[in-house]
Amino acid sequence: MIACISIPGFELKAALRKAPSLALRPAALAPEPVGSPGTGEPLLGPVTAAAEAAGVRPGMRLGEALATCPRLMLVDPDPAAAEQAWEEIVRSLEDVGFAVDPAALGIAYFETRGVERLYGGLEPALRRALAAVGSAWDARVGVAGRRFAALAAASVARPGQLLVVRDEEMGRFLAPLPLTLLPLERQRYEELEALGVRRLGQLAGLPGGAVAERLGPDGQRAWGLARGGAAARVRGRRPPAELAESLEFPEAVANELTLRRALGVLVETALARPERRDRFVRKVALGARLVSGGSWRRSLTLREPSAEADRIRVALAPRLAELPAPVVELRVEIVELTDPAGRQLELLAAGAEDRSRLRDGLRQVRASSGSGSVCTVVEVAPWSRIPETRALFVPRDD
Amino acid sequence: MVAHSGDTRALRTAGRLSEPRPARVESNFDGTPWQVNHQPVVVVREEWRVLDRWWTEEPVVRRYFEVVLESGENTVVFHDGAGGGWFTQRGA
Repeated sequence: MIACISIPGFELKAALRKAPSLALRPAALAPEPVGSPGTGEPLLGPVTAAAEAAGVRPGMRLGEALATCPRLMLVDPDPAAAEQAWEEIVRSLEDVGFAVDPAALGIAYFETRGVERLYGGLEPALRRALAAVGSAWDARVGVAGRRFAALAAASVARPGQLLVVRDEEMGRFLAPLPLTLLPLERQRYEELEALGVRRLGQLAGLPGGAVAERLGPDGQRAWGLARGGAAARVRGRRPPAELAESLEFPEAVANELTLRRALGVLVETALARPERRDRFVRKVALGARLVSGGSWRRSLTLREPSAEADRIRVALAPRLAELPAPVVELRVEIVELTDPAGRQLELLAAGAEDRSRLRDGLRQVRASSGSGSVCTVVEVAPWSRIPETRALFVPRDD
Repeated sequence: MVAHSGDTRALRTAGRLSEPRPARVESNFDGTPWQVNHQPVVVVREEWRVLDRWWTEEPVVRRYFEVVLESGENTVVFHDGAGGGWFTQRGA
């Protein structure tokens, strides 16, 4: 069977770890700043139970939410902290034997077949999974023969509850659930509601061809999910590569040229790490700690895996323009690498001998003087009238 | 079980190049230095002022002097008008 672990409002819970007192007050995850790409009007993120009791709902317009509950506190998103917390949870699950497929922040799937025997049955295995996640997150588990049915079960379960839906009960279980469980655009829900379709059972009862004709491929997919979804196995993820390089600035930096130069250094240093050797970068992330205390993160999958610093830098650099505030720390993470590949050697490598001698010399300096003794100078603001802000030195241990 | 590689994250703290260093400077009534780190100043080659970041809470108010010491050493010192004190600085 397929199990789904769900932690509703995960990003808000992760952001509230820094200010736990807000968890008991009406609070919501602040919308992305207006003007950032992909955002139209500011819509509210997940909300706390107190906010929900005051009439505030996730996805509400910000103005509407503040009019409904003037005491509503807005919590700045902390995507880096959320990613880190989620990675810790997924690792805890992997450490106790589950091959996890993390679908999104706060939602993960795994097959129960292998671990049932390990823990002496389905329920003990699921209890072990909940224990691995920890009680602070209010996780819930849904189990069914299909992925979507498991997600639906987890969505209606209470915190800490295990909800198992047997194959023969699946149709009856899904029928009364709301359409909002389906991954559809807002206007599709409205279209279906206008047709009088409000429950999964009503959609599943319609002829598939008619749904496809009226609602297109999205509708056909939703119709398939309303009937339980396709039977497919869950494949556990490959643990991420975990190669990260960070640069802490002596003071907050907002200048794009400075950030671009720092990015160049970080990309080169990350690529030079021995763990990366002979492998190409498939997915990379750029993160920053902001002067306001929050964080920012953007990940990027390269069209073609590459190990060229220039290509990766060119791909990441435009993201720097999306930074919402000055940064105190910039970070480059190599999230996914390809399998080791053969390397074409040059018959006569230009300057290879010099480079090799230089590398040996630097290695000796490091061995005698310790880590951090070899540095690269990076010009960050050569135009500055204050000499100490013109250049930084960055330790190199590669 | 799923095996994980070791922790391969690295945090590098960047340092500033040409960071000012405190200096022991004796000055004349007009503010020009006559002794730097116990060495007499032979000649003041140049003098300039830097006023910057006046819009922040940490404004920069410096009076720089490029001097030649008795030993022949050419050095740059400045008086910090905001925090007080004398400093030497390379790369100025």
